[in-house]
Amino acid sequence: MDGRAPPRPRWAGGWQLGVRGGRSNVMNLTELQGLEERYLMGTYRRGEVEFVRGEGAMLWDSDGKEYLDLLAGISVCSVGHCHPDVVEAIREQSGRLMHTSNLFYTEPMVRLAERLSESSLGGRVFFANSGTEANECAIKIARKHAHRRGVSSPAIISFERDFHGRTYGSLSATPGLAANPALGPMLEGFRSVPFDDADALRDAVDGQTAAVLIEPIQGEAGIYPLSEDSLIAAREACDAVGALLILDEIQTGVGRTGSLWGYEQTPVRPDVLTSAKALGGGMAIGSCITNEAAGAVLEPGDHGSTFAGGPVASAAALAVLDIVDDPVLLRAVRERGRRLREGLEALDGVREVRGRGLMIGVGLEEGLDSAAITVDLLGRGAVVNAPEPRTLRLLPPLTIDDSQADRAIALIGESLLSYKP
Amino acid sequence: MNASKMPPKGRKGGSDPVGGAAERLAEIVGAAERAAAAVIDDAEKQAQGRIDEAQERADRIAADRLRAIADELDPPSAGGEERPRLRTVEAVPEPAESAAPAGPRSDEAGARLLATQMAVSGASRKEIENRLRAGAGIEDPAPLLDAILGPEE
Repeated sequence: MDGRAPPRPRWAGGWQLGVRGGRSNVMNLTELQGLEERYLMGTYRRGEVEFVRGEGAMLWDSDGKEYLDLLAGISVCSVGHCHPDVVEAIREQSGRLMHTSNLFYTEPMVRLAERLSESSLGGRVFFANSGTEANECAIKIARKHAHRRGVSSPAIISFERDFHGRTYGSLSATPGLAANPALGPMLEGFRSVPFDDADALRDAVDGQTAAVLIEPIQGEAGIYPLSEDSLIAAREACDAVGALLILDEIQTGVGRTGSLWGYEQTPVRPDVLTSAKALGGGMAIGSCITNEAAGAVLEPGDHGSTFAGGPVASAAALAVLDIVDDPVLLRAVRERGRRLREGLEALDGVREVRGRGLMIGVGLEEGLDSAAITVDLLGRGAVVNAPEPRTLRLLPPLTIDDSQADRAIALIGESLLSYKP
Repeated sequence: MNASKMPPKGRKGGSDPVGGAAERLAEIVGAAERAAAAVIDDAEKQAQGRIDEAQERADRIAADRLRAIADELDPPSAGGEERPRLRTVEAVPEPAESAAPAGPRSDEAGARLLATQMAVSGASRKEIENRLRAGAGIEDPAPLLDAILGPEE
């Protein structure tokens, strides 16, 4: 040893693509896990697999094994992995201009804002880099809007088991996580009422209410759709006191439920909606979309972001909307969703199937552990998620075909049978 | 083992799958119609509210303007003595149409919601078309159906 540090391994020289996504690894999975344990904060419990390639609804691991992806990166890769139109949009834009900051104009951002506004609430858009940031913007709008109405202690009301994100504003509106004393104190001015309790919601909304912030279908909780009664109660209660209704469509939006936005299937139109996950097709982007009145609340200096609305993420999102905002695709989402739900309902071990479109929660019978089944399914070549002990969550790419849907039903059926007491 | 080989379980809560499905669809359509009616009512209320606001604003502006003209022609006395002044005439409200909110008409919003909910519930194009014609009075539902279901196959 001559005292110099050993040369750092260079990523570019470290791997080569092999057949069907296999590759000559620098590190095997065990080595990766060792480095992860040493260098990454322990915030995740990862599945025992390293994915190296994706195409449509399929993934391949570092050994070349094939998987049917029924989770799509938690509803992010909704148009399928590496959709050629999205890849091309990213490639083209990243070769031309990647970033300028929000101190200047870039066309993809402005075109995307127009498209999001015109397809939903008709007002204005603030771009963010994630869902939780989109909700932070919505919270700011709600508080400022309330102050303008003369509200001294603005409160934001959500349902129990709602999930709105992990930054402190969104976290404070996420009752399950906000209850963790180790992360306290949370922000003031957040309250929750029992899930889907329309009367409790009505009672909770008063003159100090800035907004009702809710998910039309609870996603992280395990796919629980909100009833129309509760949505109508939320709208009416907000209207009665001048508060804003904010729908968190981070998981339900961008075609997931079979319409571009989940609220389109309900009699309620929000003042503000937030979107992220599927919007970028794999690129990090979030957006807070408003109606005309709420869009005028924030002014220069109130909010901002260095990266948000960047040209590459915006170009990707425009490509995603070109694919998803198509009645033929949305019809296919509804049809595949029905096919999956009916097939899953018929399986032994399934207690109920919840959700809309391709946002599906599979409630399991007593004695079945969803976490164990998730691991078993990974071994069988299917990726699902267990948001609660007796629920499997399926959020497959919207482009999944009939044969893949049937294969999903078969694999889940086999797994449930192997665990049935 | 393939799922298709497994003994199928009965659908939860129904012994006659065809009758059960029809019943569920009827319930869903009923709920959708109620929701659509609520949307229409709400939109009409909002539209009327905006018309009233606009009329009030127009009345106020016209009255202020007439008062200003009156003051110009017949200024109040400097000594504070109240003299008869030119009478302001009743303001003519703006035509109601100009105050109507922009965007889709309320019955269209209701019809769209009805069609969307029926599509999500699995109703066929024909069923939705019939409901739109008979229930929502839409003479030509084709554009709405194309927007929600895509072009006819």
